[in-house]
Amino acid sequence: MEHCELLIIGSGAAGMSAAAAAWKAGVRDLVLVDGASAPGGILRQCSHRGFGRAVFGSEITGPEYASFLLSGLQNTGVRLLTETEVLSVTGNRRALLSSRTGLRELGFQRLILAAGCRERSIGSLPVTGTRPSGVFTAGQAQELLNLRHRLPGREILILGSGDLGMIMAAGLQEAGAHVIAVAEQEDHYGGLARNYHRFLEPSGIPLLLRTTVTELYGSGRLTGVLLRQLDTGAQTHIPCDTLVTVVGLIPDRTLVSGLGSPDWLSFAGNCHHVHELVDSAVAEAASVGRLAASALAASKHDPDIFPEVRGLYR
Amino acid sequence: MERFDVAVIGGGLLGCFAARNLCRWDASVLLLEAREDVCTGISRANSAIIYPGYDHKPGTLKASMTVRGNEAFGRLCEELDVPFSRCGSLMLSYGPKADAVLRLKYDRGLQSAVPGLSLVSGREAEAMEPCLTPGVSSALYAPSAGTVNPWELCIAACENALQNGAQLSLNTSVLSIRPEQDGYRLITTQGDFFARAIVNCAGMQADQVQRLIFPCDVSIHPTSGDYLILDRDAGLHPSHIIQVEPEDGGKGLNAVPTVEGSLLLGPSERENGIDWSVSEAGLSFVRRFAGQVFPGFSEEHIIRSFAALRPNPQRPDGSSIGTFVIEHPAPGFRSLIGVKTPGLTCADQLGIYLAGETAADLRLSPNPDFFPGRSGIPRMKRLGFDARCKAVRQNPDFGELLCRCEGITRGEVLEAIHRGAVTLDGLKHRLGAGMGPCQGARCRQKLIPILAEALGISEEAVTQSGGDSLVYGGADGTL
Ligand SMILES: Cc1cc2nc3c(=O)[nH]c(=O)nc-3n(C[C@H](O)[C@H](O)[C@H](O)COP(=O)(O)OP(=O)(O)OC[C@H]3O[C@@H](n4cnc5c(N)ncnc54)[C@H](O)[C@@H]3O)c2cc1C
Ligand SMILES: Cc1cc2nc3c(=O)[nH]c(=O)nc-3n(C[C@H](O)[C@H](O)[C@H](O)COP(=O)(O)OP(=O)(O)OC[C@H]3O[C@@H](n4cnc5c(N)ncnc54)[C@H](O)[C@@H]3O)c2cc1C
Repeated sequence: MEHCELLIIGSGAAGMSAAAAAWKAGVRDLVLVDGASAPGGILRQCSHRGFGRAVFGSEITGPEYASFLLSGLQNTGVRLLTETEVLSVTGNRRALLSSRTGLRELGFQRLILAAGCRERSIGSLPVTGTRPSGVFTAGQAQELLNLRHRLPGREILILGSGDLGMIMAAGLQEAGAHVIAVAEQEDHYGGLARNYHRFLEPSGIPLLLRTTVTELYGSGRLTGVLLRQLDTGAQTHIPCDTLVTVVGLIPDRTLVSGLGSPDWLSFAGNCHHVHELVDSAVAEAASVGRLAASALAASKHDPDIFPEVRGLYR
Repeated sequence: MERFDVAVIGGGLLGCFAARNLCRWDASVLLLEAREDVCTGISRANSAIIYPGYDHKPGTLKASMTVRGNEAFGRLCEELDVPFSRCGSLMLSYGPKADAVLRLKYDRGLQSAVPGLSLVSGREAEAMEPCLTPGVSSALYAPSAGTVNPWELCIAACENALQNGAQLSLNTSVLSIRPEQDGYRLITTQGDFFARAIVNCAGMQADQVQRLIFPCDVSIHPTSGDYLILDRDAGLHPSHIIQVEPEDGGKGLNAVPTVEGSLLLGPSERENGIDWSVSEAGLSFVRRFAGQVFPGFSEEHIIRSFAALRPNPQRPDGSSIGTFVIEHPAPGFRSLIGVKTPGLTCADQLGIYLAGETAADLRLSPNPDFFPGRSGIPRMKRLGFDARCKAVRQNPDFGELLCRCEGITRGEVLEAIHRGAVTLDGLKHRLGAGMGPCQGARCRQKLIPILAEALGISEEAVTQSGGDSLVYGGADGTL
């Protein structure tokens, strides 16, 4: 079985940042693995500008940010394995890796889980009616639009005004779809003010506050939704062929869910908690990487240290 | 016109198992299904319970078939290479009236020879299932109860029938049936077929299909019910199927720890439905009930809600029928009408019965070459390390993971398509893709290009479940 000192799962912004920091702090035996075909994680599909104000002082796109982070790993000995999925992690510090070239076990001393988060789906909401096609999470719609250059549909309603909802509303409209409205159950949009002012406000797309979707229609493809105004109880039937949901992100720790909290494990980025800004994910992950490096250094047996310690008490 | 000994109408659980068992006889068998895939009707949504058999009146066909079906289920699933969990069931009572119902069911169970049945005290039940709300007054424990994935089972039966020479015609709706010399002419959306005998398993339409040629006294009155699914990480994991017998005699609740590791809750009962819509009243019934039974129930862990359709059989005067209705209006024509619970448990038994009767009508001899076994799609997540290494070495597609929640590789997806999946639901039914915590948010867009390429269609033409359920914006979806 192969071994490494530090294994980092996920090469999104957090994983790359943790890897660079750990390398800089002296870890020399470091593996960074990702199931995707290239590093970058969610950044790869964020083609809008708006990243990196704090770290770079200028606003760049997601892919630009990702290549910048990747350049930080060049000329290091970090071993980056893409198209390699971690299937499981066990309590005796082994990870099972799968790729087209084979299956292998990798032992490690410490693990940083930087696997990002997953989107809550419509299924988790108390929505009645049929279960038609044409319902997308915002992440799916974003990937479809930016990486596959396709529209999810033509007449689109967006449920949830988090950053992603506002970004996607503008993005879908710009790509030629008709975005009917953004519905939000709270009395204020959910995302950052700057995303509201940059994306939603100029788009002219109505923001329906204290409003949610309660029912879906359509036996094949979606044909409409029922909107409910939560204060008045008024219901409106909105014909549409697509619903994009932005109803929450959940840190994805499935890989270690049965393991408790062993001292060799730490979390970075959205896997730790959901970060609104990539800069904060990167900053947090850098310190997680550094801490992992010092924990590894502390656990190293330095044969010279014993006589030295002994000397202290003579 | 193609000629067959027997035509089976309907590719649900009952039709697929009828076809499988007809292959035990020396007969040419045609299975006709209106939709694009099998297991898309009633069979696609049920409680997934393999019942022990104490619910029915001793001595009835339903009681004896359920006990027999249950007993044979382990072997059936081995033959068909489908995971089956004989987890046992606990039916709970929280008061004296329900206690009495459990005693009645216990007595019935003893008379029907349900194995291992016992009445246990509330305290014993709570010790067996620490996740229950305290205050159970008694429980009926049936160790023989189990659960299976109905999709996998139905598809496995169909595959086994095809391996044994049956022919499947999809997208084929039977429009009318005419008598002919020594048999019947079936006029369908895909042309005419001749069959010496017909087995009508048309589910919700079974009464109407019989009326295409014969009268039918029994009518199907559809109602629907709602279910909820909790994800694997819900921390709510009864080790038995939990059923509640409510004190007020109303609708109970099932909680089924599925073979996939999720928890299935439901169904509600409602009167309104002939469509697959989920109702608000139904959902809140299931949520409220689940909260009462399981203190650890949290709505946070709901990953899906869906509706099921019940085909309730009725007499002309509107009264409901409790037994299995097997109509036999003429030689060589049989209909199963309004088979609801426990149709899954009894699917193979009903198939054996129908095949035997039809074989007698046609004087068929047994088929010495019938092969009961079928191998499932090789599932990487179920293999040990060495076997999995070997699989990837032989075919790199088995190393490429596509669905993170359910651990599905490209190799498995391609195999499922090869075996007949033509929609996203087809992949879900064969592999579980889209059933996990993310409900397809991460894998769906990886599956679409694979389906499109393998089927030789554009990505815009890929559907969720056939018809107009297009996933992308349609033919003009490309930017
Ligand atoms: C859609 C979206 C839009 C955003 N827009 C902005 C913005 O405009 N401005 C801004 O500042 N911030 C934005 N953010 C926030 C910021 O970009 C993210 O918080 C940050 O990129 C998250 O990085 P991460 O590394 O934690 O996770 P991710 O980028 O999700 O990376 C996780 C990686 O782990 C891999 N992985 C997971 N499980 C496994 C496994 N089992 N085996 C192998 N690999 C695995 C995945 O393939 C993925 O590459 C946005 C966030 C999202 C979700
Ligand atoms: C809510 C609910 C819960 C249940 N729970 C359980 C349980 O836990 N345990 C248990 O043992 N049983 C259970 N059952 C029973 C079981 O699910 C059913 O008995 C079984 O699925 C019925 O299958 P079927 O083949 O009759 O119907 P279907 O699956 O509907 O198959 C009929 C098929 O015929 C096709 N068809 C119709 N008309 C035509 C035509 N003219 N030409 C061609 N094809 C046609 C349809 O497209 C359909 O695919 C439950 C049932 C329900 C409703």
